[in-house]
Amino acid sequence: MVDLESDFLFSDLDSLGVTTILMTLSAEYGIELEAKDATPKNLKTLDSIVAMVEEKLKVKSEE
Amino acid sequence: MDYNSNLESYVRQWAEKQPDKTAVICDSETITYGQLWQQVTEHSRDYQQAEGRAVVIRSTQSIFFLVQYFAAHLAGKAFVPLEENCTDARLSSIQHEVNACSIPGNVADILYTTGTTGQQKGIMISHKAIMADAGNLISAMQFAEDLLFIISGPLNHIGSLSKIWPTVMAGATLCITPGMKDMNQFLNAFQLPYPKIATFLVPASIRMLLLFARKELCSISDKIDFIETGAAPMPQADMEALCLLLPHARLYNTYASTETGIICTHNYNSDYCVAGCLGRPMPHSSVFITPEGYVACKGDTLMEGYVGDEGLTRNVLHNGTLFTSDCGRIDEQGRLHLTGRIGDIINIGGYKVNPIVVEDVALSFPAVSDCICTPSPHPVLGTVLRLYIVPQSGSEVDKKELSAFLQKKLEQYMIPQFFSIVDHIERTFNGKLNRKYYLTGIK
Repeated sequence: MVDLESDFLFSDLDSLGVTTILMTLSAEYGIELEAKDATPKNLKTLDSIVAMVEEKLKVKSEE
Repeated sequence: MDYNSNLESYVRQWAEKQPDKTAVICDSETITYGQLWQQVTEHSRDYQQAEGRAVVIRSTQSIFFLVQYFAAHLAGKAFVPLEENCTDARLSSIQHEVNACSIPGNVADILYTTGTTGQQKGIMISHKAIMADAGNLISAMQFAEDLLFIISGPLNHIGSLSKIWPTVMAGATLCITPGMKDMNQFLNAFQLPYPKIATFLVPASIRMLLLFARKELCSISDKIDFIETGAAPMPQADMEALCLLLPHARLYNTYASTETGIICTHNYNSDYCVAGCLGRPMPHSSVFITPEGYVACKGDTLMEGYVGDEGLTRNVLHNGTLFTSDCGRIDEQGRLHLTGRIGDIINIGGYKVNPIVVEDVALSFPAVSDCICTPSPHPVLGTVLRLYIVPQSGSEVDKKELSAFLQKKLEQYMIPQFFSIVDHIERTFNGKLNRKYYLTGIK
């Protein structure tokens, strides 16, 4: 299992892991996540994932 | 095309005719046919001096993999590519196995897979089979010199490795990407300046792109010459969605395996878009259905056999026919349709998993008393593995610890995605694991 506290989360993930994260976040927060969001930078750590979701929620609330 | 030759002769041919033509692109690195041939010949001298009939390596998504591949063949060795994260123990074990066996001189590659029999075996593929497979793909999908073929899957797997063959034979260009983990890197490859671009994607990768990259697929639609899929069933809805997104691309569903080679294919972006239809046999192959309803294949693409196991080989390969575990039928137009698979093998995104192998390892974990490994639905992969566990009396099973334990002993694709703690495992009246029970919906 992947260590979510890792500072190298992206390198620990495989394609299924990336997909699972995107799908789970999309469903949980009602946000649209696309391939362009699934970058090594955005998925590098748990903190960077949180930042990405917060940004998406901000955009969603402004719409 | 001279199908009695070998692939390396084509590398040399293109190096002589078009030395400056790009052969392979990988990340920011490129290599021409001239450079590739030079590196191959230099590396083959090292392999010629090495002991043993086989070259066993960990595969990497790199230009160097191709140098190793062709160099091993040129040196008269059999090439044995293992998964990138292969443990030292496994590599050593396979090295020992292949060195102890007699490998026929016509064998080019030995690919380790679970395959038809349910056991991890080394499948020997001859140079002749490689050429026949390449010929089949060139004929069916029209590989041409101006094509860029993108390989994103693991190069030790037949689905990806087999695409090197027609690309090189046709003098086209390969682009190797590191997989679908970073979809953007894969999609960026379609921006390379080639008039025709094609790729092979397992259904799970297509599902990922349909879920997260529809806009990107639309934007590159006109650049895509063809996409081939295979290794696992593709859902009807995904086939139809892809046809809508890519109206001008040829979209192939191919029937192939490490044991049979590349046998049949069907362009479903046509007036016949039906899940499970794998089309007609390609020029060097033929297929029929046995009286029991299983798919059997003949032709030049068949494997030579399982390394070191003539008995197992004879079970599935005799009289020039390879008998598979796939259930199928042939329609009135001569097209093969797959209708299922016998046995307990679980198809995980193209990888075949024998659940008994997973269970055996899980049972060696101290806190596990009983277990069963079953297929479980997944929205992207279609099917993933679930391990139901009964803990030892008085013990608790830490799922993370168990997963880490399994990862040390099994290949990555055999690691269950889900773990369920239960108080008993369903068995049949005679004490065998009742796998059918766990197939009927979520338990």
